[in-house]
Amino acid sequence: MRALAAVALALLLGLLGLGVSGIFPRPGVPGGEEVAEAWGAKNVVATIVLGVRLWDTLFEILVYAMTIAGVKLGLRRLRWEEPLPPVAETPLLRRSADLLLGPAAVFALYVASSGHLGPGGGFPAGAILGTALLLLALAKGVERLSAELREPTLEWAEYGSIVVILALAGALLLLGRRGTAYFIAANLLIAVEVAIGAWVVLHRFALSRGEV
Amino acid sequence: MEGLAGAALAIALVGLGLWTLIVRRNLIWKLLGLNVGASGAVLFLVSLAHRPGARPPIAGLGPGPSADPLPHALVLTAIVIDFATLALALVYVIFLTESRRTQDVRRLEREEGEWPERLGGSR
Repeated sequence: MRALAAVALALLLGLLGLGVSGIFPRPGVPGGEEVAEAWGAKNVVATIVLGVRLWDTLFEILVYAMTIAGVKLGLRRLRWEEPLPPVAETPLLRRSADLLLGPAAVFALYVASSGHLGPGGGFPAGAILGTALLLLALAKGVERLSAELREPTLEWAEYGSIVVILALAGALLLLGRRGTAYFIAANLLIAVEVAIGAWVVLHRFALSRGEV
Repeated sequence: MEGLAGAALAIALVGLGLWTLIVRRNLIWKLLGLNVGASGAVLFLVSLAHRPGARPPIAGLGPGPSADPLPHALVLTAIVIDFATLALALVYVIFLTESRRTQDVRRLEREEGEWPERLGGSR
């Protein structure tokens, strides 16, 4: 078994090595200027994610939302027999997290809204916001933070942002509209969806802590 | 050169991750291996996008060759889906551990048993 696995792995890694060896010709890359002019976004990666490869991004958002829903429903069925162990709280960490959340949120907003002009976009912005929420949860305690962030509101925001993204993308596909406003709106909505999804996962795992 | 070094590291990471996935018997180790392999795949795609002396794929940064933007776009998908599927897989591991009290795949394959009532009763 191990010998077979080793041979299969060696073949696969050899194949990967062939890919970068320079034996196969590499395709030319179109100039960024033409893409920027045609789509209204300087960042060619943003143009691919939200323009040329839009269908792929839409299904990626759907897969993400479905897996988050799976995590939520799955962990909701777990009921611990013993009470959850309390999380130790330190005032210094809580104060620092409170102070850092604002700048982190502003930075996430900046990354999302300028993603069509430079490095950034909705996915990194969502990851930044989700990480900031995790920091706050570690500092304040998950129970207290989840009481402050009401779950039904978050669910509405998460699924609402998906519906609006789909509507926006549908309008883009039907009408062929391109422009800066579309990229900003789509990136902001994706950031909201990714951040809430990340928060839901971390929150559910934190609530399900305990001895197995 | 940086691209080749990145690709070599990526291939090593993919090999390490897949080896752990195949050989280790613990489910958490298998998921860890899967995640390391996925990180290697991400690094491999990024190193494929590298061109010597290339600038980032953003318009207005001056003349010259640009890095390939397509692998960068693929990487975004890979990272997000990797995070979500890892979370879902961990939920299944929690369920299995709760019901069978083991994370060893051989024991899981060998032993049959009822699911506890709080996990939904019968299978």
